[in-house]
Amino acid sequence: MEDVILVNAQLLLPGHPLHLQKKHLHLRSGILVNISDTPLQVSGALYVESPALKVSWGWFDLRACFPDPGFEQKETLQSGRRAAAAGGFTEVALLPNTQPVVDDKDTLRYLQSDNARELVQLHPIAAVTKKAEGKEFSEMIDLHRHGALAFSDGLHPIQDSDLVLKTLLYLQPFNGLLIQRPEDTHITRFGVMNEGVTAVQLGLKGMPALAEHLMIQRDLALLEYAGGRIHFSCISSARSVELIRQAKARGLAVTADVAAPYLLFDETALKGFDSVFKLNPPLRTAEDRAALWQGLRDGTLDAIVSDHQPHEIEAKQLELDLAAFGMSSIETVFAMSTMESKLPTELVIEKLSVAPRKIAGVPLPPFEVDQAANLTIFDDSIEWIFEKSRSLSPAHPLLGQRLKGKVLGVVNNQKTEWFL
Amino acid sequence: MSSLSVRHLLGIKELSVKDIELIFSTADQFKEVLQRPIKKVPSLRDITIANVFFENSTRTRLSFELAEKRLSADVVNFSASSSSVKKGETLLDTVQNILAMKVDMVVMRHSSPGAPHFLAKHIQANVINAGDGTHEHPTQALLDAYSMREKLGDLGGKRVAIIGDILHSRVALSNIFLLKKMGAEVMLCSPPTLLPKYVGQLGVQITYDVRRALAWCDVANVLRIQLERQQIKYFPSLREYSLYFGINKAMLDALDRPIVLMHPGPINRGVELSSDAADSHHSIILDQVENGVAVRMAVLYLLAGQR
Repeated sequence: MEDVILVNAQLLLPGHPLHLQKKHLHLRSGILVNISDTPLQVSGALYVESPALKVSWGWFDLRACFPDPGFEQKETLQSGRRAAAAGGFTEVALLPNTQPVVDDKDTLRYLQSDNARELVQLHPIAAVTKKAEGKEFSEMIDLHRHGALAFSDGLHPIQDSDLVLKTLLYLQPFNGLLIQRPEDTHITRFGVMNEGVTAVQLGLKGMPALAEHLMIQRDLALLEYAGGRIHFSCISSARSVELIRQAKARGLAVTADVAAPYLLFDETALKGFDSVFKLNPPLRTAEDRAALWQGLRDGTLDAIVSDHQPHEIEAKQLELDLAAFGMSSIETVFAMSTMESKLPTELVIEKLSVAPRKIAGVPLPPFEVDQAANLTIFDDSIEWIFEKSRSLSPAHPLLGQRLKGKVLGVVNNQKTEWFL
Repeated sequence: MSSLSVRHLLGIKELSVKDIELIFSTADQFKEVLQRPIKKVPSLRDITIANVFFENSTRTRLSFELAEKRLSADVVNFSASSSSVKKGETLLDTVQNILAMKVDMVVMRHSSPGAPHFLAKHIQANVINAGDGTHEHPTQALLDAYSMREKLGDLGGKRVAIIGDILHSRVALSNIFLLKKMGAEVMLCSPPTLLPKYVGQLGVQITYDVRRALAWCDVANVLRIQLERQQIKYFPSLREYSLYFGINKAMLDALDRPIVLMHPGPINRGVELSSDAADSHHSIILDQVENGVAVRMAVLYLLAGQR
């Protein structure tokens, strides 16, 4: 029997009657047993105290890659879960870009297999097409019946307009969600970083933001024509934010997210040819970064995701044009989103806990006495040094740096883990 | 004796105006040495230099090797196509293997932009960039500017047109950086598809009209069409390119004042430059080659002094 007392914690539960109130919470083996206005005395309990202790629903990452099976040298489900927990995530939606790709129920089941006994719950996103090649449909109804959270070819945005159109139609009977990271890959061929004066100075082939705009415009036109739902992931440019803002104003069923690294970095991070910052979509300009913050503020961008793309050192410690795209980020999403204090913490939490579930159609966990808790415990005022990553990937931009905003613990599935 | 502000020559971007002037004045001295009956000085005795070329090169490698030998350095050469790196051994491993044999300086050409910067972060030896993909080719820009200065004096206010495949050219980029630092004006001329969209932000003028560029400039630095570096089609045919962007002697003779014609080589004769233009009195193409050795001697000598 494990007793934990969260001392005078502020509850950040947007939409819940107790939102923003301060309470003393008693958890027993992951079950919420008491919500109290007065200090609690439980002998033998772990007392969690912190200057600005806060509690929210467990965070939900709508986009991460744990490429197991197939690329276990980059991240396994186990190492990914450990990193996710340290990042405050109790639930993670996984991209289908494993080997084999998540295009049938066997692979789907493999990803779900440990959920019953693990704290961090994994939700597979299934591939729209077999092998995520953008050619033949995978069996999407069957995948949905077996628990696929949504549909996407993940790292490979679907180029064929007719395929996108038919997917939007086919998913409608069960209100299925299509997720696209918008990129017209013809425009970005051989690109390494954002197109702009920085790329010119570095002699690197640019990836114009135009590639993102073109696909967003195309997909929105298809959505308007076919109906259904689409979610754009990893929005990176100001014009994309504006396109989505307009589409929402027109009443289209569109949602969007931004990945945390894009909130903190811009293209100038590549000036030293540091491959950690080689991402797709590429980090863009300071103006784009400001527009992403504004998009979060005004609700155009619904959620914040990690877009955790782990790689072994051999894939990253290379000449920039040969290095793989992607960085490890899941452990520092909260710090990346709060360090600069550009948004109120409760809004960041809404984008990490409520919005992703709403987009994915996953109900919010109960916050009631005698129910199993699904919570993240954190303090946005604590400064700490990110000394060691739990991810197998060494490509993390903030390793060894002083950060602000720390996850103190996670509770889910009657299990707890503390990072005190 | 003054010294450079850098340990490596990675690009022109990292050099100060003072560094560039120091390289030029040192090259003046070595150019004098090269006129002597005995063209060798003992300056780099005991220094071992590896010329590591992951991309084909004849003249740059020869020029470096000659510069190294004129300075009495011990020289080893290593050639490999970049594809062998992709197949197996990493760049870092290849170079560390060479360094394990106690090499002091590495002259490297590589197809990846930033490859020398990557190397400089990981090894002790001085790194000299002999061309990194479409990024920089600093010694070429130095010898180009040195040759211009020799012909026209101070570069301040001089007008230099860079004509040809700008998009794939490390020579163009290094030249732009250097000429801007030295106060020259730069105009770029090529078909629109061979110009990076944002290149105007480097403070250069742009034209698509080769006659206009020639009429404007004091120096025309004509670049090769880098067919080998074009992965996608940028223009319909070499015939059309040479008709509308190529330079011949008649065009030079029609100008109201003489200009200096340069080319980093190798020339595609009959494409960007006709033979009668390349071999005309306007051309200082062979002076560039000669100055290349002196400038590279200066760079090697000054960097060795940083050890």
